[in-house]
Amino acid sequence: MIENDELLKVEHLKKYFDTPSGLLHAVDDMNFSIKKGETLGVVGESGCGKSTMGRAILRLHEPTSGKVLYKGEDIIQYNKVQMKNMRKKMQIIFQDPFASLNPRMTVSEAIIEPLMVQGIFLKSDKKGLNAQVDKVMELVGLAKRLINTYPHELDGGRRQRIGIARALAVNPEFIVCDEPVSALDVSIQAQILNLMQDLQDELNLTYMFITHDLSVVKHFANDIAVMYLGQMVEKAPSKKLFENPVHPYTKALLSAIPVPDPDYKMDRIFLKGEITSPINPKPGCRFSKRCLYATESCIGGDIATKEVEPGHFVNCVLA
Amino acid sequence: MGNLLDIKDLTIYYETDDGIVQALNGVNLKLGVGETLGLVGETGAGKTTLARGIMGLVPNPPGKIVGGQVLYEGKDLTKLTNMEMQKIRGQHISMIFQDPMTSLNPVLTVGEQIMEVIINHNKITKANARTLAEDMLERVGIPKERYDEYPHQFSGGMKQRVVIAIALACNPKILIADEPTTALDVTIQAQVLDMIYKLKSENNTSMLLITHDLGVVAQNCDYVAIIYAGEIVEYGSLKEIYKETKHPYTEGLFGSIPSLTVNVNRLQAIVGIMPDPTKLPKGCKFYDRCKYSKPICAEKLPDMVQLSETHKVRCILYQ
Amino acid sequence: MEKVKNANKVSEQRSLWEDTWRRFKKNKMAMIGLYFMIILVIIAFATIVIDIATGQSFYNQHIIKQDLRRRLEGPSPGHIFGLDEFGRDVLMRMLWGTRYSLFMGTIAIVLSCIVGGVLGAVSGFYGKVTDNVIMRLMDILLAIPSMLLAIAIVASLGTSLINVLIAIAVSLIPRFARTVRASVLTVKDQEFIEAARAIGCSDFRIILKYIIPNSLSPLIVQFTLGIASAILSIAGLSFLGLGIQPPTPEWGAMLSNARTYIRDAWHVTAIPGLGIMFTILALNLVGDGLRDALDPRLKN
Repeated sequence: MIENDELLKVEHLKKYFDTPSGLLHAVDDMNFSIKKGETLGVVGESGCGKSTMGRAILRLHEPTSGKVLYKGEDIIQYNKVQMKNMRKKMQIIFQDPFASLNPRMTVSEAIIEPLMVQGIFLKSDKKGLNAQVDKVMELVGLAKRLINTYPHELDGGRRQRIGIARALAVNPEFIVCDEPVSALDVSIQAQILNLMQDLQDELNLTYMFITHDLSVVKHFANDIAVMYLGQMVEKAPSKKLFENPVHPYTKALLSAIPVPDPDYKMDRIFLKGEITSPINPKPGCRFSKRCLYATESCIGGDIATKEVEPGHFVNCVLA
Repeated sequence: MGNLLDIKDLTIYYETDDGIVQALNGVNLKLGVGETLGLVGETGAGKTTLARGIMGLVPNPPGKIVGGQVLYEGKDLTKLTNMEMQKIRGQHISMIFQDPMTSLNPVLTVGEQIMEVIINHNKITKANARTLAEDMLERVGIPKERYDEYPHQFSGGMKQRVVIAIALACNPKILIADEPTTALDVTIQAQVLDMIYKLKSENNTSMLLITHDLGVVAQNCDYVAIIYAGEIVEYGSLKEIYKETKHPYTEGLFGSIPSLTVNVNRLQAIVGIMPDPTKLPKGCKFYDRCKYSKPICAEKLPDMVQLSETHKVRCILYQ
Repeated sequence: MEKVKNANKVSEQRSLWEDTWRRFKKNKMAMIGLYFMIILVIIAFATIVIDIATGQSFYNQHIIKQDLRRRLEGPSPGHIFGLDEFGRDVLMRMLWGTRYSLFMGTIAIVLSCIVGGVLGAVSGFYGKVTDNVIMRLMDILLAIPSMLLAIAIVASLGTSLINVLIAIAVSLIPRFARTVRASVLTVKDQEFIEAARAIGCSDFRIILKYIIPNSLSPLIVQFTLGIASAILSIAGLSFLGLGIQPPTPEWGAMLSNARTYIRDAWHVTAIPGLGIMFTILALNLVGDGLRDALDPRLKN
């Protein structure tokens, strides 16, 4: 059942890759929904599958199975033409502000590109195109004089603004933000985060904000989902996750983040060993090998999701 | 605050096609025995140039030490020949770099790489060197049975441990760590930093920890220096920098970072970007981004003001 | 919106081509090569203009007309490179021969580049079976020594100008296909290609607008070096009697026909030989210079 204000609902989303060593379970049975105008933070360390999931939702990687319901309709079932049309509504901002821009396109060419590909303006409608470019550049804080500059002439912060402008050019409703500030300096990160917040308020955007840095999404996200090796281990409203983390991995993750306050006593939870392989994983909780509280029941079969408080879901036998 | 390492007025320029890059402009720093000094700055501030300057690794051309001294136990390292510096590197002053993926030689086993540095600086037999190398592996938490394995067989965090083993194998007096955990996941980062701290304490090694992460600094350093556009703008004890922040840039940095412990609705970003190092303004380099700037700031570079025995700041507000 | 206070890099909008040109200009040897090639191009055009203006009479008078009494005369003030075995001025024949080496070389390469480039792009982009089939075809072409291949084609199709061009173009296709394929494989996995898909770009648009413009660097280098190769091949074919037919003053043919006189009249072989050599050298210098200039490639 979809509620009226749910923009995106993901059901049993799976993405597996065929490798010579076996089947890589990059995304395994993810379930969540995002309301219109809100932000879902997706948090996890390297190899947890968060980036793959972001791309799978946009069908940049074709999902292996599952449903992605946008306003109730499963976009996995869409044909090529329908999917191309959807790309007006669903966009993505990438992590690397340099690699995600075509080095041979100027700022304005990069912004005009989606407009032309989507047929929003005709090539001959120079006025319309330029007006939209101006509007979008102003929205993201790029000076007009940069219209004909190339990415390599600009710094990371400005390049990322171009990436955001490109995503906004088609007036999307939903944007997957794949670690959009991880490659930026601290002071520029703050600028871009503020920008994204402002844009969300102004344009009523819905974000899926993927990051490895929990602190970045703390003030930004409505809900946060924590992933480990392709599985969701915990999902809760932002405040509740920080105040009352339940899953041992979430607790360990939170305890590992160095706090910029010398008086703060870090209550470090140490994890055993290293991350296990996502190739042909055994059934049960994938975190059990490193978990201090693991028991027999952790590796039997699928772990049931429990709602420990309203809106707060945990995949753990101890919950 | 004794003086194991005393950097006086170090100035390093790079001569490039685009002009002269003024990477370091008169840097003064001291490092005492057993101390950890955190050097905090963003991209282009000059942190890596400073590390290279100390190690005598500034590529020449295009880099040149234009002025200043690097005094180690009284000797000026900038005046030494390359042969003389080779005796210092690895034995007296060691460095670990940011990217563990590319720091290790892929065709040598990890054990051989540790042994290499031991043999370079000690007249001992290969068998004895191997024993010492095995010990070092154990000390960084890698079973000595893995001596004959190659770097590609290790994960990122373990590779970084090997890098640290190599750096500390000859028990140097100073360890320079250039963003040692930036490329690692946060839970692995916590493990690696703890390990560095433990090893360092065992031998009373001094450390220059270069990072942009104020959280990492808070949990690991005794003193902190903030570097901006090739100059130290503030220096002090951990407490002074975090609790009695003085320089507007430092203040801006703290405002930019999302924190786990403090609730904010919006980050206090610093406007603008760091100035072009080939066209540095006269006067204060932070002038055009500073909330408190006055016209005189653009004209005259403020002197360093000593606020307490350990706290110094370069800003007109305190003169 | 937060406004940025410092104005930054307004007037220095430099495209990647301008950056490349700047670096190229610094390379003295490469510039010498370039000047040489420019001079050759001017000569080639000048001779064409003269032919059109004088309606072949100049050509007939000075290039073709034989003067057997004065055959094999050595260099003299009136004829700086001397006369050939038919009493024709060697310098004049060299100048008029420029167009064949230059233009034919270029046309052959352009053909080769387009066909090879498309094959390489398709091969690299689609991968799997397509890639396999195309690359194995290229392997077959590469397995045959290029000269033999060219000879076979010319021998079967006849010795016209066009057939020589086709022969040379075909033998050079695999080189371009491989170069473009390698570039495409590198570029294909970069994030901005993914970004293009996210906007809804079709495969065709991605190949044309995103992949090919970013794969040009190695291709350009191969192109210049390829012209050198083509010139040598044309000269070689003519040397064997399969290329340009006499009395057309093509350098390779000139070299071939003068073989018998090498002991009596050094200038009849040496001059065309040197001409070919310097042209190849110049092209190689330009090609190497381009490779160096394009290589810092977006380094910030």
